[in-house]
Amino acid sequence: MRGAILAEGVGKRYRQHPPNRANTLAEAILQGLRRTPSTWFWGLRGVSFSVAPGRTVGVIGRNGAGKSSLLRLIGGVGRPDEGRISVVGRVGALLDLGAGLTDDLTGRENAVLVAMIAGMRRSEVLAKLDSIIAFAELEPFIDQPLRSYSSGMRLRLAFAVAIHVEPDILLVDEVLAVGDTAFQRKCLARIEDIKQAGCTIFFVSHDESMIHALCDEVLYLRRGEVVAFGPTAEVMARYRGDTDHAESEPVREVAEVAVIGGRRLRLHENRFGTQEAQIAAVRLLDAAGAPAERILSGAALTVEMDCRRMNVAGGVVLGVTICTEDDTPVFDTNTALHEVDVLVAETEGRFRLEIARLDLVPGRYFVDVGLYEADWERLYDRHTHVYELEIVGIGYHSGKGVLAAPCAWQRDFSDAEQARPGPAVRMSKPPREGAA
Amino acid sequence: MLWELTLRDLRIRYKRSSLGLLWALLNPLAQIVIFSFLFVHVMPLGVEHYTTFVFCGVLSWSWFSTAVIGAAGSVIANPELVKRPGFPVGVLPVLSVTSNAVHFLIALPVLLVWAAFDGGRLSVSLLGLVPLIAVQFLLSLACAVPVARLNVRFRDTQHLVAVIFMAAFYLTPIFYSADRVPGALRSVYMLNPMAILLDGYRKILIYGEWPDAGPIIVVAAIAAVLLAWSYRSFTRASMRFAEEL
Repeated sequence: MRGAILAEGVGKRYRQHPPNRANTLAEAILQGLRRTPSTWFWGLRGVSFSVAPGRTVGVIGRNGAGKSSLLRLIGGVGRPDEGRISVVGRVGALLDLGAGLTDDLTGRENAVLVAMIAGMRRSEVLAKLDSIIAFAELEPFIDQPLRSYSSGMRLRLAFAVAIHVEPDILLVDEVLAVGDTAFQRKCLARIEDIKQAGCTIFFVSHDESMIHALCDEVLYLRRGEVVAFGPTAEVMARYRGDTDHAESEPVREVAEVAVIGGRRLRLHENRFGTQEAQIAAVRLLDAAGAPAERILSGAALTVEMDCRRMNVAGGVVLGVTICTEDDTPVFDTNTALHEVDVLVAETEGRFRLEIARLDLVPGRYFVDVGLYEADWERLYDRHTHVYELEIVGIGYHSGKGVLAAPCAWQRDFSDAEQARPGPAVRMSKPPREGAA
Repeated sequence: MLWELTLRDLRIRYKRSSLGLLWALLNPLAQIVIFSFLFVHVMPLGVEHYTTFVFCGVLSWSWFSTAVIGAAGSVIANPELVKRPGFPVGVLPVLSVTSNAVHFLIALPVLLVWAAFDGGRLSVSLLGLVPLIAVQFLLSLACAVPVARLNVRFRDTQHLVAVIFMAAFYLTPIFYSADRVPGALRSVYMLNPMAILLDGYRKILIYGEWPDAGPIIVVAAIAAVLLAWSYRSFTRASMRFAEEL
């Protein structure tokens, strides 16, 4: 079926050239038959996944995780050294901004050339040229040489061509960051259209919100191997747990634990980290100090955490993040920011984060907690999307956004004659402190 | 696409010059003027119709040499195309041959007019130019493809090729006649495929004769085999080009 991608145990290895490797014919002849053995490393290994046509897949991972290598293999640039990759249909790609653009030609000539390199016939290109130029918003400049274009204009041209190729599979590698916000939004809308038309999209990005907005599935790579492949929210939670931390593989297995609200805390699913130090229990308390799963907007909240095995070398940092259901963080702090010293000798400790007011719009939130090595090099324990918090309120806001700050309307008249006493503008009172 | 890329090459080269495509003529013309001056007036070589003779040599040699030297750098000069999904990398060395072929074809009518003016006996054997040009195209490709591949791995290949072509310029009967080569060496000397092709061009344009088919067919056959082999090995190696660049 057009647009399907199947990878089975794909591996790609790269040569690490020895420093004395002959790079010129002259050297090669001088070195003669004495061959210097090359060492190889696997840029990708054992990568298997299958993507149905019309899905949008985000590819995430740290630098050097093999994201771009994978995109290239899907695009047919190079062949895997191991395993098999099958791609059905025409592949469109936005990998390299400058790909095929020539400085000395005009924008129009470039558009035609790039479109033909991308696999369109000349007649097809000419039929779509106006639409390409219009999409790129380059009408006034299209007959200027490309030399005079800004990088944003180049991106627009390249992107406009790439989407007009009508690919069955579109590969996008981190290039959208160049455009301005308005154009980015337009691109995203267009990607959405392409998606509707049944095109499979592979999307590499470090922008988590973009991944959330666009992708059905996420492929998470680390050091060339697949860490996770599945629904966006699940994989992103895992990635969030791992991200920025060099070491987070558990050193010990931990049995699953039931927590409040019928949820279970399971390693690799909503609990991540090495588990060398652990967060044993988390309680959300209202202003009165009673356990609460629901508080009034603007009320106080205390997050209480019991930690175990705290006597790891170097001390620890505790972090608390409140995020919306779709994983947008709305509040984030940690002990390092407050310069709280948590170098403890005892193995156990109880920490309380007291939030004086939580002025969030009503809705469902999660309180995520994390325990890190003091220099952030290591993630000990992180609980993601486990502790649910419902904010309720009678606030005077539309429900858009996340902030429900106490507010009031005032009315002043510049013209004294018109300043007759009218009906008082209703002023909203800040909600009372306290639990619902 | 090959045609489109060839146009790109030509456009880039001549877009910002006032003379445009005339430059394709000026370079060989300058050489012809110099050679004619040197070898007719300063050191006469006694070749009849010398300007036509040297015109043939310079024109067809510059196509061959610029095509192959250009092909050597063609892959490493276009990394962004090589890394582009769906781009047939094999087009790059071919491109160098075709865009230089365009230069050759632009200058060819000038050569024909000059040959007629210079007293060459143009006849129906002019039709022989078609297969002759086809064989030279094949020969250029057969040299361009392996050189382009080798240059990805060994970056000094293109310099080496330039040196070889400089030497070959003197070992090919471009501005002198092969008749001057001593008889004993002649058979070795004529193993040079370009010497065979040049002889063909001159037979047609100066004497109005048909060229010797035999040696030209041998050149074509060898070039075809070499091209088939080198293209296959190029395609295989091109899987790793993206990493080497």
